[in-house]
Amino acid sequence: MISRRKALQAGAGLAAATALGAPSILHAETATLKITTWGGKWGDIMKATVLPAFEKEFKCTVSADQAFPFMPKLQTSSKNDPLYDVFHTNSNEQWSALIEGLVMPKITAKEVPNVADVYPYAVSDKIVGVSIFTSAIGLGFRTDKGLTQPTSWKDLADPKLAGVRGGYIIPVNSLGQCHLMMLGKIYGKGLTDLDAAYKALEQLKPIKLVDFTGQMEKMLLSGEVIEGVIHDSGVYRYDGQNQPVDFASPSEGVMALEQVLNVTPGSKVKELAFGYINYMLQPDVQKMLAEAVWYSPANKKVKLDAKYDAKLLTTEAKVATLIQPDWKWYNERKDDIDARVTKILKS
Amino acid sequence: MSVPNKQPFDAGRAAYLTLNFALLFFLLAPIAIVLIFALNPTPYISFPPVGVSLRWFEKFFGSAEFMNALWLSLWVAGCVLVLSIVIGGASALALARGNLPARAFLTAFFMSPLMLPAILTGLALFQSYLLIGIGRPVWGLIMAHTLVAVPYVIRTTLAVLHNFDRRIEEAAAVLGASPVRVFFEVTLPLIRPGVFAGGVFAFIVSFDQFPVSLFLVVPKGETLPVVLFNYMKFDLDGAIAAASMVSILLALSVVLVLEGLIGLKAYVKL
Repeated sequence: MISRRKALQAGAGLAAATALGAPSILHAETATLKITTWGGKWGDIMKATVLPAFEKEFKCTVSADQAFPFMPKLQTSSKNDPLYDVFHTNSNEQWSALIEGLVMPKITAKEVPNVADVYPYAVSDKIVGVSIFTSAIGLGFRTDKGLTQPTSWKDLADPKLAGVRGGYIIPVNSLGQCHLMMLGKIYGKGLTDLDAAYKALEQLKPIKLVDFTGQMEKMLLSGEVIEGVIHDSGVYRYDGQNQPVDFASPSEGVMALEQVLNVTPGSKVKELAFGYINYMLQPDVQKMLAEAVWYSPANKKVKLDAKYDAKLLTTEAKVATLIQPDWKWYNERKDDIDARVTKILKS
Repeated sequence: MSVPNKQPFDAGRAAYLTLNFALLFFLLAPIAIVLIFALNPTPYISFPPVGVSLRWFEKFFGSAEFMNALWLSLWVAGCVLVLSIVIGGASALALARGNLPARAFLTAFFMSPLMLPAILTGLALFQSYLLIGIGRPVWGLIMAHTLVAVPYVIRTTLAVLHNFDRRIEEAAAVLGASPVRVFFEVTLPLIRPGVFAGGVFAFIVSFDQFPVSLFLVVPKGETLPVVLFNYMKFDLDGAIAAASMVSILLALSVVLVLEGLIGLKAYVKL
């Protein structure tokens, strides 16, 4: 027969073991989803609102890496145990990652049900993974410097803009790469006419170059640049701040700057990764992020407030104006293109 | 009564002073520019300033992300300071006194982290850490920083040891001091300026370290230079300048504290 003392001792021991073991039991049940994400306003909203809500709903922990560069880190990690489960980047880098087998070629409604509700561009043959948002790449300009609103990409070559026009360090920036291809389209035979593009690039000198859109925004705000290549989001996010900047969609068309999510094939939490992408495509999440950073949502069912709806690409007709370049083609020639544009813009 | 020995003020002295002021201006002017940007209230970097405001310092100190990064950088730099002094000091003593074979090769080997591009060092360590399955722990970051900081301590300690009069140690030994006592009561106090000067460099190198940290930091565990680098991509505003001023003042504080402990003149002897 067990004495009362022994029973109490056993009970105390069991309680202690449970209390000590509880954190590890909980930890074993809590999966960690490793993602990449942008910083700035996007990062603030993600960390403050979107990710905590996702963690609560899916009972997981999200480890969000905001420290560039993402691609070299993913390349270095093992494919069977990748550093990231969900890779968020632009299309050009997603295509580079696909070539190396680091991401999945396509994400369908089978894995992510909300994919069924996205615009065609979000899952077109130009996309690896699925696009959750897009911006339109066009021309940002100062409204207080006596400029007429640009109507064509060719307006950037106006001699009056010498030294105060803005572009990107093409080897490291997708807007710069898009702009280069657009130069081939408007001055040559098409997006792939690199000879015409190089010639047109030469005519844009002198031009101020940056490596990221955040810096282009600041150059426009400070007046260091009075007209430059930028996405609509980079200008519209200053709405209501009384800043003398505006965005123009050139008549020849706007290039797409897609925010693309993809899953790494070696991810140990694939279901959670797909769940995250599905969550990011939910209309309420899409609306919150779209209105915070002025990105055009990929989900057709999203209804934005009037002032956002007026400017962003929220209908089939509007998104049809987006030009999606062939990043597979571009990446195959990237080394040669980088060498050539560096030579042009360095001199 | 003796007359103070004053140097005559001639063209040579004038040229010497002008050159020194020009060099000081060249070195300090960028810091003044950073301060101007940090106090300028506009939401972008611009010159000339339109006013004076502490908003960017408020943003810096009010940001959890910046503060976490600042404390992590200070913690890592402090650990690197201690480790570098111990490892660097011991290595220098071994190289100077150890009668080691291939001494010149070993010296070059220990100094080699300075010759390699730091970003390659960081990438190589990142690959190594992943290969052995340890991930990216903070102690891995500290070891990486120590790797690139130790050469500074070795270099400054070797310089002090070069002029060291060993007869003082011999005298202490002859008078009955044990080797351990000779080291702690004779050798160490005399080489302390070199060791601590190297420690100052090690602290600053670690605190400002970017390329090595780039691949070794983890989410919510980024050092200040990495956070600033990523911040600049999205928000190029005065907060960067405010963070830079804080970093400069911190580094200056470390130097002043060590000057109080060791004495600035000791560095001049090097």
